[in-house]
Amino acid sequence: MTVRALVIDDSRAMRRIVTGTLEGFGYETRQAGHGQEALDVLHEGWVPDLCTIDWNMPVMDGLQFVNAVRTNPAWRAVTLMMVTSESEHGQIVRALAAGAHEYVIKPFTADAIRDKLALLGLLPQEVSL
Amino acid sequence: MTAIDAGPRRRAGDRPPAVAELIDEATVTEITEQAWLALVGEDEVLVPLPAPLPADTLSSWVGITGPWTGTVVLTTGRDTAVELTRALLREHAPEVLEDEDVDDALGELANVVGGNVKAVLPGPSALGLPEVGATPPAGSPADTLRVDVLWRGQPLTVSVQSPLHTEEENEVPL
Repeated sequence: MTVRALVIDDSRAMRRIVTGTLEGFGYETRQAGHGQEALDVLHEGWVPDLCTIDWNMPVMDGLQFVNAVRTNPAWRAVTLMMVTSESEHGQIVRALAAGAHEYVIKPFTADAIRDKLALLGLLPQEVSL
Repeated sequence: MTAIDAGPRRRAGDRPPAVAELIDEATVTEITEQAWLALVGEDEVLVPLPAPLPADTLSSWVGITGPWTGTVVLTTGRDTAVELTRALLREHAPEVLEDEDVDDALGELANVVGGNVKAVLPGPSALGLPEVGATPPAGSPADTLRVDVLWRGQPLTVSVQSPLHTEEENEVPL
C-alpha cells in the first residue's frame, strides 16, 4: 500500500529535505509552498494520509491550514503533523488543540520523523522500527 | 469609555530588557550547533572562533516581536552560503544552484535558529518570515549579542540584536 504525504513549507530547501526523508520511507509525496496551495491540492482530490505543516508561511499559515482541514469531514482521516521552528509551549498547545496530531520541532533528524510516524502508525512495514 | 486591560505597560523612560539579560552566548551557540548538526550534517562542527568576514557577505534574518523585540541575523560569506546550501540539500540539491536556492536555504537556517532563540526569550512572541539580503536591519550596537563561529574554516556570525531605539517609543503594552 502506498502512503501519501503532502509536505507544506514555504522553504524550498525544507520541502526538499522533508520530501526526501519521507520518500526514503516509501512515501509518495507532493509539495505546497503555503496553506492555501495545500488546500488547493486537497480540493483537487489528492487527499494524503499525512500532511507535514510548517507554521510560519505567507498567504495561509500552518495553524490556519489545520483549522481549515478540520472543518471538512471529508478530510477527517488526514493525519496532521506540524514540522516547525515554533517551539513555544503555548504554540504547541494551540496547534494540538486545533487538531494537529503530532508536533516536530525544527531542527529535526530523519530518525525523529521516523519515530513520530511509527507512533502514528504511518511507517510503511518495510522500514518499521 | 470602555477600559481595556492591556496588562503591564512599559512607560517612557523604562528601559526594555537588554538582550544579554535574556539569553547568553553559550545558549545561542548551542542552538546554532543543534541546527547545524540536524540540518547541515551530523559531522558539521561549528568552531567558536572569531574571524573577519569577507567583503562579499550574505545575511538572513527573522524578526521576533513580543516582550523582547528584535532580530536574529545570520551572516556569512556569499561563497560559504552557496557551500552551506549544498550541504543542507545534500543529494536533494539541484545540479545548478540558483540564487533563490541559496537565499531560501540561508533563510531557513535563520528561521530555525530564530525560532529556537524565540523559545528561550520571554513569551508569547511572534516570529516573522525569514528575509535574505546583503544588508540586514541595523541593530543597536550596544544591545547585540553576537556569536562568531567557523564552519569548514569559514566565518559565520549569529547576532541577536535589539532594534535601534527612538525617543518616541513612549508607552508600549508588554
